[in-house]
Amino acid sequence: MPTRKNEEWRFANINSFTLDGYDFVLPEKAIGSQELAEKSDVISNPSGQIIFADNKPILQDVDNDLKTKGVIWEPLSEALKHHSDILKDYFMAQNLHLGSEKFAALHSAFISDGYLLYVPKGLVIDRPFIANHWAVSDKAAIFPHTLVIAEESSTVTLIDTFNAKLPTQENFICAFSHFLAGANATINHRAFQNWGTKTLGIHINAATTGKDATVNSLGVNLGCQHLRSEHQSLLQGDGSHIEMLSLCVANNDQELDQRTLQSHRAAHTTSNLLYKNALMDKSKTIFSGLIKVAEEAQQTDAYQTNRNLLLSTTAEANALPGLEIKADDVKCSHGATTGQIDEDQLFYMLARGIDPHKARELLVFGFFEEIISKIGDNELADYIRELIQTKFQHM
Amino acid sequence: MSTAPQAIDIDQEKGNFQMPEEHTFDAGVGLSEGVIDYISDVKNEDQWIRDFRKKALKTFNAKALPTHWASKDLEAIDFDKIRYYLASGQKPKRSWDDVPDDIKETFDRLGIPENERKFLAGVEAQFDSEAAYSNIKEAVGKQGVIFMGSTEGLKKHPEIFRKWFGKVIPTGDNKFSALNSATFSGGSFIYIPPGVKVSHPLQAYFRINAENFGQFERTLIIADEGSEVTYMEGCTAPKFDTATLHSAVVELVALKGAKIEYITVQNWSANVFNLVTKRAIAEEEATVKWIDCNIGSRLTMKYPGVILKGRKARGEVLSIALANDGQHQDTGAKMIHAADETTSNIIAKSISVGEGRSTYRGMVHMPKHLKGCKNNTECDALLINKNSRTDTYPAITVRGNKNSVQHEASVSKVSAEQIFYMQQRGLTEGEAMSLSVNGFVNDLTRQFPMEYSVELKRLIDMEMEGSVG
Amino acid sequence: MSQLEIKNLNVSIGEKPILNDFSLTVPKGEVHAIMGPNGTGKSTLGKALAGHPDYTVSSGEALLDGLSLLDLEPDEISRAGLFMAFQYPNEIPGVSIANFIRAAVQARLDEGENLVATEYYKDLYHQMDLLKIDRKFTSRSVNEGFSGGEKKRCEILQMAMLKPSYAILDETDSGLDIDALKIVSDGVNKLRGENLGILLITHYQRLLEYIVPDKVHVMWDGRIVKSGDKDLALELESNGYDWIKELAPANA
Repeated sequence: MPTRKNEEWRFANINSFTLDGYDFVLPEKAIGSQELAEKSDVISNPSGQIIFADNKPILQDVDNDLKTKGVIWEPLSEALKHHSDILKDYFMAQNLHLGSEKFAALHSAFISDGYLLYVPKGLVIDRPFIANHWAVSDKAAIFPHTLVIAEESSTVTLIDTFNAKLPTQENFICAFSHFLAGANATINHRAFQNWGTKTLGIHINAATTGKDATVNSLGVNLGCQHLRSEHQSLLQGDGSHIEMLSLCVANNDQELDQRTLQSHRAAHTTSNLLYKNALMDKSKTIFSGLIKVAEEAQQTDAYQTNRNLLLSTTAEANALPGLEIKADDVKCSHGATTGQIDEDQLFYMLARGIDPHKARELLVFGFFEEIISKIGDNELADYIRELIQTKFQHM
Repeated sequence: MSTAPQAIDIDQEKGNFQMPEEHTFDAGVGLSEGVIDYISDVKNEDQWIRDFRKKALKTFNAKALPTHWASKDLEAIDFDKIRYYLASGQKPKRSWDDVPDDIKETFDRLGIPENERKFLAGVEAQFDSEAAYSNIKEAVGKQGVIFMGSTEGLKKHPEIFRKWFGKVIPTGDNKFSALNSATFSGGSFIYIPPGVKVSHPLQAYFRINAENFGQFERTLIIADEGSEVTYMEGCTAPKFDTATLHSAVVELVALKGAKIEYITVQNWSANVFNLVTKRAIAEEEATVKWIDCNIGSRLTMKYPGVILKGRKARGEVLSIALANDGQHQDTGAKMIHAADETTSNIIAKSISVGEGRSTYRGMVHMPKHLKGCKNNTECDALLINKNSRTDTYPAITVRGNKNSVQHEASVSKVSAEQIFYMQQRGLTEGEAMSLSVNGFVNDLTRQFPMEYSVELKRLIDMEMEGSVG
Repeated sequence: MSQLEIKNLNVSIGEKPILNDFSLTVPKGEVHAIMGPNGTGKSTLGKALAGHPDYTVSSGEALLDGLSLLDLEPDEISRAGLFMAFQYPNEIPGVSIANFIRAAVQARLDEGENLVATEYYKDLYHQMDLLKIDRKFTSRSVNEGFSGGEKKRCEILQMAMLKPSYAILDETDSGLDIDALKIVSDGVNKLRGENLGILLITHYQRLLEYIVPDKVHVMWDGRIVKSGDKDLALELESNGYDWIKELAPANA
């Protein structure tokens, strides 16, 4: 287990990190597929959908036309049979830099399924793919795995949802997602994490860009008792671009520990990170971000912003925004602010007869709108607003 | 313009000379309880100090080097090859005429007596482990201001000294504060009585003359209620081939409504490890301002801090670091908010030249249930050459919804177009570069006392010479 | 010999040739204007003469009172007496105008000689008054946050302070409203005289109503295709640049 003395785990409450009492071996039979399928209806007309319940695929679907064009969209258990050549080269092939190497090893040891999305050269896919990961059994240990490979000049959008069958469920989650964007390819990834409120979650994300490639990611984090979220972006190809957006609403005694890396390893690369957290009750967030610019990564633009909105007297926000710059011809900046709701704005709303709870909710929505409006997909934007709304209603 | 007083001469070339070593007392090489006893015996110290030192030695030995976050270069320090105490055995003199010739010549060449006449309220000059000279202007002394070496202060004013000694920075704060607590010698002791405002700065000057030596000065400044004081320190050493260690502990106490301004222009030679712990306590409505300029040394690790203990206390750190080839300036600031309506401000500017590396580390802490606290931090880094390096590692913790923190950092370089524009007006590339760099730090140096901003500009000009290409 | 003489100059940016066997002579005391459509190499001429590192001179000569400029560093060219008023003057954060010009004036003095601050400020304020520049301006950072007109006036102020023997004014009129143009032109006209040769680079005839040139040259495709007196500018104004394009092959 990591310790707090390790810089990568600074400020984190490690004491709650115990794996005792979780079921690492789950029963064979699939559970409640019809009900889960109905609850997994997030967007209309996806290009493909896979639903997992306790690590097992219970439904899978893919647009036949795309399949004939060479798109691979299948559970790892099947991909292993048909496409072991691809998996051999890419499965867990990414070096990690943010502290969770041990958990990645645990993931490798216990993974039972996941999925592969492979997009062949030049194919531009409009409608998103969606994977729904459900934790069904209380105490189950879940290991979701995502591997996305976009070949040269292809474009694809992918949605992952992470949910528990019961809102208060207790699980151990160790998820790993890996995105490889080939030359000039674009991957858009949206992840909606809403695990049960007693869950210990570890989500590891790794993205690698080829020349002129783009990876845009958005994370919405609402669930878990304690979440460790790591997101490393390696800009390997000249002229590539990474966007990392995240928003989080934390309440009760939730702890959200976010670690990010924007590693510029090639020239003319750009990256932009914006993480926004709204904190209530006794919740705690950690944002620890690092921009690294290698000597050869000249003409790099890298930006990193963390904004924390504290909504109670006992919430705690930690910010560790870091820069390590070894190239001189760069534009880099980071900013971190931690503050509270503007009293004048609040008063203005109250003066219009809006109750304080609703007024604060509106202001929190305003705080997040900067990110939501960037998604450029109204259906998804509404879905996110609804997710946040639901969380507010249960407070 | 140009009415500024003469600069304080502490450029590296001017400091690069050595007098023959003539020490009556030499604790030998390496660190042990025996060395501690030797120091305590020579100083004829009370038992509690001897015990304090020995306990600190245990703490030092028990603590690991902080290489899990700091530079591995720390491992280049061989603690067994350092001499921990060197002194002539003479009491600090009140008149320069009484200071031994070679030491007097050293400080003459550094321009200290001249500056004293011009604009200082008092001067203390330390040579290796002990003060050689210490004096304050009569008028200032009459106000009840105490300014002397800490060895002397400990003897003459134990009632004030002991009350605050080690209270701002505990022995075990870090490995180097423990080392200092075990081996401390020299440094300044200052007490400003209530309501007294010292109009001219007090200056301390630290000189390392001996090779393979460690200087461990200990400074304690207490500004009583409503008083005001400005303290400036400068430092130089000759360029030795071997590593020299400078590890000071500086504790400031600003009582209710007091103001302390502490200014450092650090210009150690490039063989010096400069590992310094500096912290202040600011009581109600008190203000502590650290102005910290780091130009010299091989590795500097220094993060001046303020514990904002009383309501409406204010802490400020203005920091400038210039890292040239072979140098690592690892500097920053700590602001610990511990009372309502406390405010803090950090502005850090660093310049990396050649293969120089500058690092900003900051800590801002606002614990729960405080209200009306504010912090603003700005760090700007300027890169001059392709292989220059800069890092920024702030850590900000805020609890509760009544406080606000703002942190911003940026990295920029001197652009080729900018240099060409200035060259078209007739400036050489080097002059153009100097002007750009001075422009970069200008908004900060404007807040410095004139003597220091002039000196700093001159040091930057010198460092930027030949930095292009 | 008192002249700025450019002979068969060939200049390229990277691989791309911009000036083709460009020749022009500006005698000291005269004002010459170069006109021409965008992209014909007008600005390249100025920057190449000023020694900008992005411009490669492959052949030809540039002589300032007989002194070859082509082997000199940009600051040496400046101190030799060539002033360039830039189309887009650079911003220098944190460096005040007063200190900047002062450093440039100091750079022209012999080693060991120090500028006399009182005389410097007297001269500076005098020139600022002529250009209707507020004295508060001296403490502002060079060009930072300046309007277009302020930047151009600041360039002319520097020219007045540095007292060059030749000056190239690159599109000093572009982006100025009529009031600003008048002020800038007045400033230039006051500096005009037998000790200064001026080369105006402009796209618009309008400037030449305020600064009346002795000669007008028309540039196309990296060289001068037609020269004449000030009436040539008017001719150009009524006929347009297409007229030049037709002229070009005949002169090539």
